[in-house]
Amino acid sequence: MTIHVLGIRHHGPGCARALRAALDRLAPSLVLLEGPPDAAEALSLVADPALVPPVALLIHPVDEPKRSVFFPFASFSPEWQAMRWASERGVPLRFFDLPMSHRLALDRREEAETVTAEADADPGEVAIADDLSSEEPPSPSPSGPLRSERSEERSRVRTDPIGILAEADGYRDHERWWEERIELRRDTTDLFAAVLEAMRAVRAEFPDDHRRDRLREAWMRQTIRAAIAEGFESIAVVCGAWHAPVVDAAAVEGKGTGTGRKEDKQLLSGLPKLKVAVTWIPWTYDRLTFRSGYGAGIRSPGWYEHLFQARDSAAIRWISTAARLLRDRDLDASSAGVIEATRLADALAAIRDLRAPGLEELDEAILSALCRGNPAPLKLIRERLSVGDRIGEVPEGVASVPLAADIAAKQRSLRLKPTGGSVSLDLDLRNETDRNRSRLLHRLNLLDIPWGQPLASGSGRSTFHELWTLNWQPEFSVRIVEASHWGSDVESAANARAAAALSETTAISQATELLDRIVVAGLDAAVEAALERIRNLAAVGADVLHLMLALPPLARVARYGDVRGTNAAQVEPIVDSLFGRIVVGLASACAALDETASARMSSGIEQVGAALETLDRGDLQSEWNDALASLLERAIDPGLAGRCCRILFERRRLDADELHRRARLALGRATPPADAAAWVTGLLRGSGLLLLHQDVLWEVFDRWLCELDDETFVQVLPGLRRAFADFSPPERRRMGEKTSRLGNSDTNLRRLSEMVTSSTIAVDTDRAARILPTLAMLLGVDQGVVDAMSSKAGER
Amino acid sequence: MPKSPTNSPSTTATAPSPPAEVLRQHAEQEYAAELSALRAADDRPRPPGWLLSPWSVKTYLLGGVLADGTEILPKYVGDPRLIEIAVATLATDRALLLYGVPGTAKSWVSEHLAAAISGTSTLLIQGTAGTDESAIRYGWNYARLIAEGPSRDAIVPSPMMVGMETGRIVRLEELTRIGSEVQDTLITILSEKTLPVPELNHEVQAAKGFNVIATANNRDRGVNEMSSALMRRFNTVILPVPDNLEDEVAIVSRRAAQLGRALELPAEPPALDEIRRVVTIFRELRSGITEDGRTKIKSPTGSLSTAEAISVVSNGMALSAYFGDGRLHAGDLVSGLVGAVIKDPVQDAIVWKEYVRTVIKERDDWKDWYRASRDQG
Repeated sequence: MTIHVLGIRHHGPGCARALRAALDRLAPSLVLLEGPPDAAEALSLVADPALVPPVALLIHPVDEPKRSVFFPFASFSPEWQAMRWASERGVPLRFFDLPMSHRLALDRREEAETVTAEADADPGEVAIADDLSSEEPPSPSPSGPLRSERSEERSRVRTDPIGILAEADGYRDHERWWEERIELRRDTTDLFAAVLEAMRAVRAEFPDDHRRDRLREAWMRQTIRAAIAEGFESIAVVCGAWHAPVVDAAAVEGKGTGTGRKEDKQLLSGLPKLKVAVTWIPWTYDRLTFRSGYGAGIRSPGWYEHLFQARDSAAIRWISTAARLLRDRDLDASSAGVIEATRLADALAAIRDLRAPGLEELDEAILSALCRGNPAPLKLIRERLSVGDRIGEVPEGVASVPLAADIAAKQRSLRLKPTGGSVSLDLDLRNETDRNRSRLLHRLNLLDIPWGQPLASGSGRSTFHELWTLNWQPEFSVRIVEASHWGSDVESAANARAAAALSETTAISQATELLDRIVVAGLDAAVEAALERIRNLAAVGADVLHLMLALPPLARVARYGDVRGTNAAQVEPIVDSLFGRIVVGLASACAALDETASARMSSGIEQVGAALETLDRGDLQSEWNDALASLLERAIDPGLAGRCCRILFERRRLDADELHRRARLALGRATPPADAAAWVTGLLRGSGLLLLHQDVLWEVFDRWLCELDDETFVQVLPGLRRAFADFSPPERRRMGEKTSRLGNSDTNLRRLSEMVTSSTIAVDTDRAARILPTLAMLLGVDQGVVDAMSSKAGER
Repeated sequence: MPKSPTNSPSTTATAPSPPAEVLRQHAEQEYAAELSALRAADDRPRPPGWLLSPWSVKTYLLGGVLADGTEILPKYVGDPRLIEIAVATLATDRALLLYGVPGTAKSWVSEHLAAAISGTSTLLIQGTAGTDESAIRYGWNYARLIAEGPSRDAIVPSPMMVGMETGRIVRLEELTRIGSEVQDTLITILSEKTLPVPELNHEVQAAKGFNVIATANNRDRGVNEMSSALMRRFNTVILPVPDNLEDEVAIVSRRAAQLGRALELPAEPPALDEIRRVVTIFRELRSGITEDGRTKIKSPTGSLSTAEAISVVSNGMALSAYFGDGRLHAGDLVSGLVGAVIKDPVQDAIVWKEYVRTVIKERDDWKDWYRASRDQG
C-alpha cells in the first residue's frame, strides 16, 4: 500500500499539467480529491462532453437555497484535470473533504450563536451582509473561507501560506512567486515532494488551530484509512498544498501530533448534519477573478488557460494573439511590433531575474512597444484575453442555480412566459398580479437581466398603468448565473445588488434615481439603505444642481409610493431637507454660469417645479416662488432670469405690468443684444402663448427686434430661432397672423381679407374653365360635376 | 572609421573633472563617484558598448546600497517598473521615447540613463521648430568644402553621427517640436542603424552601444504629431505625475536641497512642512479636487508639474536667504507660487483667488498662508 500526496494550488495551470504527468507516472488505483463527498453523484457527469468548463459545483441546503456554496473549476484547474484523468482511465475517484452537509450545518449553528451574541446589532445590516456572503469562496483552497478569526498573524498565514514562502524567498508578490517557481516550471519531477516539504515547514512554524480545518483534515485522514481498509494498493491524494503535510502516509498512521486515529474519531463524532442539493452550473472566467469577490480567485484566468494550453513559446503566442485582437479592432499592430514587444518582454524578464516573462512583463511590453504607451488598447486586451470571456456549459436537464429556479417559478405563478421577440404588456398596478409582475420585471432589471423595457407611462398619464416590452434573450441564463451570487431568490438578490450599487453612488442624483428603481421594484429592505445613503450624500453634497436633479424621483416616491404599497412617509423628511438646501444654495448657484451650465440650471429649476407640483405641497411651492423671485433681484444669467419671469408669471407671482416692466428693462437699449436674446429665449422657450396674449410684451419685443442693426440681428438670430423652434404649428400660425396685423395693421388686414374673400378680384372665367377638365381628370371627378361647377362659377 | 579630430567631442568614457565654476554639472560629473563605484561592483554581463550592466543602471536610477557600502542616491522617485522598461528597451537596441506632460522628469531620466550607460549625457540634440536635417545628420565646414572639395574632413558631424561612430547614447530633447519632415530623418537611423553620406558615397554604420533616447510632450502648444512610421520605431514609456503626496514631497524636498547647495544659498534646508503645503497646493490645483476629495476646484491653464514645485521651493529659499531671516516662511513661497500658478493673467488669477478663498482660508493651520496670499494676490 502506498500513498502519494500531491499538494496543489487551485487553478494553477502548471500544477494541472504536473498533476496529470504525475498521475500518468504513478498510475494509482484510487484518486482521492479534495472536494465535497456530497457531490459524488455529480462526478459521473465529468465524462459527459456537454459539460464544458468553466463550470462550478453548486451545493446548498435543500431547505435554504440562499446558503449556497460554489466550487468552480476551469479547464486548467488541477482538480478538473484529476477528474478528467480518472474518468478517462476508469480509475475510481472520490471526494474526501468534510462533506458540505456537515459544514453547512456547522455554519448554521455557529451563526445562530453569533446572532445571539450580537443581539443588539442592527438586524437590517446583518441580513444584507448575510446575502452578500452567500457566495462562499470554495473552501478547499489555501485561501479558504474564514470565520471567527482571532489572531491576525495566524490568520494571515492561513489565508496566505504562499505569501510566507514568497517572502522568505525575497518576493513581494506571492502570485508572482508561485507563478515563477511552480507554474512556469517545465521540469515537474519532484515538484510535489518539494511542495509537501515547503508546506510542512510552514505548518511546523504556524500550526493550524482552526477547529474547522482540524475537522476537515481529520475527515480526510479517516477517508484515507477507510480506502486502505478497502484494499486499494496505490492511492493518489490530491489536495490543497496547505493540507498536504497532514494527510501523508505518516499522518495517516497517526504519527504526527494530533493525527491519531482515535483523536480523529473523537473529533468527528456528533457533527450536525443537514440535507444538501448538488448540481453543476455554468461559470464564467470573469467570476473566477478576485474582482468578482471570489476568495480563491485568480487575476487572469485567460492567461492561465493560455499557459496551460501553449506548451512552448507562451509569450510569443500571447503577444501575437493580442496583436490579432488589436487588428480586429482596427488598431495598428504590425508583426514588427510583435517582435519588438517579445524582445522587450524577454529583456524585462531578464532584468527582473525571471526565467520567462510573466503576464506583467507581457502587458508592459505590449503597452510600450505595441500600443505606443496608450493604455486604452491594453484595457481591451485585459478584458478579452487576460480575463477572457469564456462561458461554461452544462448538459441539458442538469438543474441550474437556485436563482434561475426561483425566476422560473415566479414566471409560472405570474403567467409570464419567457419568449423571444418583442411582446408588449400593459400592467394595471391596482391589480395584485400585475403589481407582482411589475415588481419582478423591475427587480430583474436591477439585476442586469433586462427582460422587460419599461415604456413611458402610457396615455392619460395614469399613475397606475405601466407599459412594458418583453424580450427574453438566450444569454439571460448566463446573466442569471452571474447574478446568482447576489442571492438565491429574486428578492434577496435584487436587494443585495441594490445595496451594492448604492454604496458605489457618489452623486446624490444617482442615489435618488436608484431609489426610484428600488421603490418600483418593491424592495423594502433596500429602500431603507437608499434613504440612508441619500441622507449622507445630501449632507456632504454641495452641488445645488445635483440636489435639484435628485428631487423629482424622491417626489415621485413620496407621492405615488402608496400606489405600489410602499411606505412613503419616511421620504418626506428627506424631501424637506433637500428642498431647504436647494433654496439656500440657489442664488449662488445661479451666478456666473456659462451657456451650457445655465441651460442645465434652467432645466433643474423646472424639474424642482415639477417635483413640487407632484408633491402638491402649497407651503413648499410658495417658498420656491419666493426663492425664484429673489433670484430676479440679483444679477443672474439673463437666460435664467427670463425663465424665472416666465415661471413666476405663470404662477401669478408676477403680474402683467411687472412682466412688462422687466421686459422693457431686459430688452432695453443698454442691454447687450446677446443678453437680451438669451432673456427672450429663456422667457419664451416651450410655448409662445405668452407672446400671443400679452400685447404689451409683444410690442416691447417687436420694438427691440426692429431696433437691432443688421449685424447684431444676424448674431442673435440663431438663439431666437431655437427659442421659437419648439412652438406648436398653431401657435406659429397665430403668430404669423398677429405679425401681419402689427403696426399699421388695419390696412394690412384689409388687404389680406380682400385676397381671401376674392369677390372683388376679377376672374377670367373662360380661362379658368379651360383647366377644369384636366383638373377633373387629375382628381378623378365626374366631368358632369365639373361642368355644373364651372357654370355656377360663370354665373357669378 | 575615419574620425575628425577637430570635431570629436571632448567627452570620453571617464567623466572629466569640470571647471569648478560651472553653474550646473552634467550627471556623469556630479555623480562620478557613484558611477565608478557601480562600475567597480558590477559583475553581471554588460550589453556591448555599455559601461554598466542593466541591473547597475537600474540601481543607479532607483538608488540602493552597494556591497561595498556605497550609497547610491535615487535619481527617479516613482514606479520602478517604468525604469525597468526603459532600461530593458535600451538593452534590446530599441530607441526609447519618454512621453509625458511637461515637468515629469523626462529629460532628467534621459540624462541619467545616458550618463550611466555611455558615461556621457552630452550627445544632445535640442529639438526646436528650427531644427533642420543637418542638426540630426551632419553639416559642412564650408571653408574646407570650397578649399578641399567634399571629403570626410569637411563634414561637421552632428551629435547623432558622433554617437553612432562611438557607440553611445544620443539624447533627443523635445522630439515633437521638430518639424515632421525632419523627424522622419530618424527612421533610417533607427531601423537600419546607419547614416548615409551620399555626397561622399559613404555611410556611417552605428557601433554597438549606440541608441537614442527621445523625450516628447503630449500637452503643449506648437508640437508636431509624430508619423506612425517613426512612432513604431520607439518603445514608449509614459512618465506620470507622482501619484501620491509623500512621493512628491520627497522629490521636491530632495531636489530643492540639492539646488540650494548648488546655488550656495545660505538658507536653512527647507522645512518639510512648508514643502508639503506647496506640493499639496500643486496637486490640488492640478487635479481639480482637494486632497480629502471633498471640494472641487478649478484647474489653472499651466501644467503645474513637480519640476515647477521644485523651482517654487528653491526660489523661496533664495528669497528667505537674501531678503528674509534665512528661514522659509509662507510669504517667501507664496510669491513664487503665484507666479507658477498664474500663467494666464485673467483666468488663472480667478482660479487662484477662488482657491485662496475656498480652500486655503478654510484650513485652520494655514492661516499664515492665507495672510501671505491675500497680501500678495
